Amino acid sequence: MVNIGLTVNQKLFEISVDENLRLIDLLRDKLGFHGTKEGCGEGECGACTVIMDGETVNSCLVMAFQANGSNITTIEGMEKDGKLHPIQQAYIDAGAVQCGFCIPGMVLSTKALLDKNSHPNRDEIREGISGNLCRCTGYNKMLDATEMAIKYMEEEKE
Amino acid sequence: MTLNQVYNGNSIDEVVELLGKYGKEAKIVAGGTDIVIALKNEKISPRVLIDITKIDELKKIEDDGEYITLGAGVTFTQIVENDIFHGNLRGLYKACRMVGSPQIRNKGTIGGNIANGSAAADSIPPLIALGSIVSLVSSDGVREIPLEDYYYDQVRDNELLRSIRFKKPKDNQVLNFSKLGLRKALAISRLTTAVLLEFDENNIIQFVRAASGALGKYPMREIEVEEYLLGKKIKNETIDGAVDALQIAMDERLKGRSTLPYKRTAIVSILRETLESGNESKNEVGAW
Repeated sequence: MVNIGLTVNQKLFEISVDENLRLIDLLRDKLGFHGTKEGCGEGECGACTVIMDGETVNSCLVMAFQANGSNITTIEGMEKDGKLHPIQQAYIDAGAVQCGFCIPGMVLSTKALLDKNSHPNRDEIREGISGNLCRCTGYNKMLDATEMAIKYMEEEKE
Repeated sequence: MTLNQVYNGNSIDEVVELLGKYGKEAKIVAGGTDIVIALKNEKISPRVLIDITKIDELKKIEDDGEYITLGAGVTFTQIVENDIFHGNLRGLYKACRMVGSPQIRNKGTIGGNIANGSAAADSIPPLIALGSIVSLVSSDGVREIPLEDYYYDQVRDNELLRSIRFKKPKDNQVLNFSKLGLRKALAISRLTTAVLLEFDENNIIQFVRAASGALGKYPMREIEVEEYLLGKKIKNETIDGAVDALQIAMDERLKGRSTLPYKRTAIVSILRETLESGNESKNEVGAW
């Protein structure tokens, strides 16, 4: 066992973990953040995407001990004061959610994209979510949702 | 062996000391995009894992005017976002830009791409075309080896792959790269080519270094293509001749492989694209 400390959704956790534990197992099984999904387990599908120190990563490809000292945002960390993040709201309003399995990762990739580039064009949005596979929607609704989210976030600022 | 010891490496010296102590019982983990899968599938079972992602020195991109040095922990995202790679080094940018997905590029490193030893590693052909040197460090000192020779004498149990460096291309040189993958994102390369070209004022190729990926056991230098191209202008006949030269080399190397007929055909447009973009981009990048 190895002792690590990390911040998840702005809360500090100090925990003892198995050496061979992956970040996704830590988040789901030890810390109870079940919004992070495991799809393929090899970095192809993006369902396990979380934001680690400002960048999206596949949490199935990070060892838990490597996350020592890092700052992580999962889908549970997106809402504020009981209110959905504008990106989450836009995904619902645009009808971009079907079975929902890919959505936590998809929303976090969208967030990471908009944090870097507040007005991406449709090609840039496609590129931003290119590491997240969805077997239901055909992706166009996610592009619509992202454009809607940009509007929501602008309105929020005003 | 069961994994029962992990370290968050704080410095190169510390990691080298650990490698000296544990030898082949230990594995280095950086971006994890290959090794974590191998651990999970029990393809490898080290007793000790050493993380090197927190070591700042390994994450540096240094330009001293003559050489560019990439720390082994430099991620593909770092390369894509750095302006140094947008001019006549665009071939390296293009290769790194096409790796995996944003998540993979955020974590995957240049050092890992080399040390993992995949024949299809995207960043390697452009780095071979640049004449890169790999720097490996152990308690015995520093060992340097050209990247094109590295695969035949890879990182040893007590060594840390520290950095890779290459001479900055001259103004009249340009590096280009093309990849055939089965889709835009998350596609392992079927084949890749990278070519560094230098033209004189009459558009004649006066220096060339060519490399390929997934056309052999490892990424490799393509000497026959270089010999054919040297002293010629980029025209349709020249491109056809370069393709012929590469196909002859492939026929020998991939003899008996089921993928040969496919790769033989596919290489035609991939090499064409690399050479044509090399020819076109020479006007954009510098001295013409």
